[in-house]
Amino acid sequence: MIFNTNIRNKFQFALTTAIAIALFTTGGLALAADKPSKPKPETTTELVEQGKTIYFRRCSFCHGLLGDGNGPAADYLDPRPRDFTLGTFKFRTTQSGELPTDEDLFRTVSRGLSGTGMQAFDSDLIKSGLSEQERWAVIFYIKTFVPEFEDPELDPYLSVVELPSDMPPYSEELVAKGKEVFKKAKCWECHGESGRGNGQESFDRTDDWGFPIRIRNVTHPWKIKAGSEAIDIFTRFSTGINGTPMPSFIEGIPEVSDRWALANFIKSLQHQLTSHRVLKALRVEGPLPDDPGSEIWNQAEAMDIRLTGQVVAAPRWQNPSIELVITQAVYNDEEIAFLLQWDDPFKDVTHDEDAEFDPVEIGKVGAFNSYVNPNETVTRQLKTFRDSIAMQFPVKPLTGTKRPHFFRGDSSNPVNLWIWKSDLADQDQPAGEEANARGWKQPPRIQDEDQQEMVTNALWDNGRWHVIMKRKLLTDGRGDVQFSKGQFIPLALNAWDGSNGEHGRVMSLSSWYNVLLEAPTPVTVYIYTILAILIAGVLGIWAVKKAGEDDSAKDNDEDGVFT
Amino acid sequence: MKNYKVNRFWSMVATLLIVYGLAKWGVPAISRHITALPFPLSVPGTLMFIYMTLTVVALFMLVTFSDEHMAEFMYPVKKLLRGEYSSVLRNLVLVAVPLIVGWQVYEVIVPKVQLPTSLRIQHPSSNFPKKFEDLKNPLESPSDADIDAFIEQAKANEVTFIPQVMADIEIWAEVAEAEHTLEFFPVEPMKKFLADLGSGNVNRETARDALLEKHLFEGRALYAMNCRPCHGDSVAGDGPMADGFKLRPINFTDNGTIETIVEGYTFWRVMNGGPGLPTEATPWDSAMPEWKLNLTEEERWKIILAEYNLAEKTPRIPESH
Repeated sequence: MIFNTNIRNKFQFALTTAIAIALFTTGGLALAADKPSKPKPETTTELVEQGKTIYFRRCSFCHGLLGDGNGPAADYLDPRPRDFTLGTFKFRTTQSGELPTDEDLFRTVSRGLSGTGMQAFDSDLIKSGLSEQERWAVIFYIKTFVPEFEDPELDPYLSVVELPSDMPPYSEELVAKGKEVFKKAKCWECHGESGRGNGQESFDRTDDWGFPIRIRNVTHPWKIKAGSEAIDIFTRFSTGINGTPMPSFIEGIPEVSDRWALANFIKSLQHQLTSHRVLKALRVEGPLPDDPGSEIWNQAEAMDIRLTGQVVAAPRWQNPSIELVITQAVYNDEEIAFLLQWDDPFKDVTHDEDAEFDPVEIGKVGAFNSYVNPNETVTRQLKTFRDSIAMQFPVKPLTGTKRPHFFRGDSSNPVNLWIWKSDLADQDQPAGEEANARGWKQPPRIQDEDQQEMVTNALWDNGRWHVIMKRKLLTDGRGDVQFSKGQFIPLALNAWDGSNGEHGRVMSLSSWYNVLLEAPTPVTVYIYTILAILIAGVLGIWAVKKAGEDDSAKDNDEDGVFT
Repeated sequence: MKNYKVNRFWSMVATLLIVYGLAKWGVPAISRHITALPFPLSVPGTLMFIYMTLTVVALFMLVTFSDEHMAEFMYPVKKLLRGEYSSVLRNLVLVAVPLIVGWQVYEVIVPKVQLPTSLRIQHPSSNFPKKFEDLKNPLESPSDADIDAFIEQAKANEVTFIPQVMADIEIWAEVAEAEHTLEFFPVEPMKKFLADLGSGNVNRETARDALLEKHLFEGRALYAMNCRPCHGDSVAGDGPMADGFKLRPINFTDNGTIETIVEGYTFWRVMNGGPGLPTEATPWDSAMPEWKLNLTEEERWKIILAEYNLAEKTPRIPESH
């Protein structure tokens, strides 16, 4: 018992320490880097030369030696690195269509752009970062790519949009007011009623650089490029995003207080990520729900699974669309059902196998690059590839901490995949497939038809997929995962967004999480507890009795001792 | 004996509470001042148990020291049991104590669901092949023949680069209308080399430094294409793909990583990736690819050269045998 407490305390200690450190560093992240702490230096030739050296070493591989956004890594990124020579800058505090101020550029270089290849370069945030002076140097060098900066008529400082000060803090009333503004200003026309970026019907518009517009899902704060705080959001729709259809609302919503309310409403839409890695399945009596809208799902605990691009093996993919799947599980004596929910602005229910990309060449030693070019290698359009998701479990029960590799297992540790395909669901065919894999090199092998026991049900609604996968807890299949109570069963996900060109290994995936069917507490626990209470109670009564006896025996001495 | 202000029973209870309070909150509070860390250092469970046991033993010795002490200690207890304070209070205690005991027993024996945690060895050596121990990055000390070949290429302005960077260099050359391709390097060693080249007196030393710059340039480009998505352009393990992995990509700027291993080890890790790790390093959680499947040996060495350079670290020197 002491040993257990000790271990638990150590664990708690480690956890608290980790959290404290995490809070410390991320707290620093939010505070540092926003604004320069020292006055901006003068633009001198030496500083520009210094900036050129830094640019060559740190920036040119994405932004190109000439600042044209054509560095060797550029083709594999979406969004592409900025082409400075066009003089179009997205994130500014100046009016729509204007150049950014030096401080705007300083902020982007210092903080980076969340969810993109542009990372923070502040030396307070990363050890290999740039000092304030170095950041100014590189900014002054970048400005030499843009002739517009030399035109006094285009001086960005003449068009700075004033940011609000002493605005009321976040509150329910503010959010309610902001919701009205969201409706009136028609933000939903593009961003969708729930803010999932599902307002458009197709990729019918392109940005100034010629790429199809993908509307931001504003509910995922880690993808909001220039900051997810209310003030950042306020700045974005007050200044617009140059080069994209995102306009400035400085005239559309003239009242600053209305815009502030809107910013807070959008902030309220942001998803709060859970941090646990064990999904507790809820035990229910009676049949499991087939309907994603069933009341039962409201009672089951939800766990967020984070996914990222499949970069483990060629063809590698660093532009994943699905980065979050909310998972839930319920079970009864016979079956277990999972509900998986993720945001996807387009319902892709067709699959054209002829459009699939052959990964043989890209997977060879010395291939030019093993990453997929999102604008050339794969077709990213509607009605080409299906949406799909797969749950992955180890086939063998765990021994110790050992488990199969999170990407499709390995030769001695096979995995069981439960795959759901939207195109099959759309054709009213069974959309679930049980499969097995021993590593990523071979495609998963679909199990024989008589082994297929998993059933699915899916619904796409308002920019979100809801998929239920259900199977018996225990089966006879040799390649099947078995669900027994009280055991941690590793669970990982693979996901494909068809209109993002995803198919095959061009997909997003997660590391291992766990699912647990909680075992009922053994009866012995209750017996021992009751016994302990009884013994303590009897001892108490005995003590009372004993005290009474002593009372009569020592009655006379008492005064002598205690007064 | 009027000098007894507090009954011995209550002073004992107070002592126990004070010791507990000191160990539980006092020490962590003081630790923050001593260590200046942003978090308190709590007293470990076993130590806590020892402190409390010692206190109880000491108090027990004090109580049993004489009959008077014992009697004094027992006085309020007996008074309570006899119901002299109030019979309601006595009955409350008689119910509460067994319930507390029951609760504690339940807490201890109820099975707790806790994910088995495993300690992970970051630089496992159990399956590290000896032959990699003394492996040196061939690009760091190019042979005289390689240097001479580079000088010849530079003289003819026909320096060849890896294909991945060619497109960018070609556009640059077209726009800049430079006399020599190598002019796009804004770094001293290359400038010096070009100056020497112009004056017709090149020495191997200068050429060697310039060649190293060329390899670094290519290595950084390959790093940006292949490794940056996870390890970040900060080389701090914070690339745009990093958040999705349970096992975060290694932070090369961290003092405990690439600085503590020999180059041969780095090469071996880049080559075999997660699947090449032994069990104690939890290979199943590692997203590190087996780069031998995609990158040539030369590309891998170029990346390693750039990786150490970007992280501003040097590899450990192999021990002599």
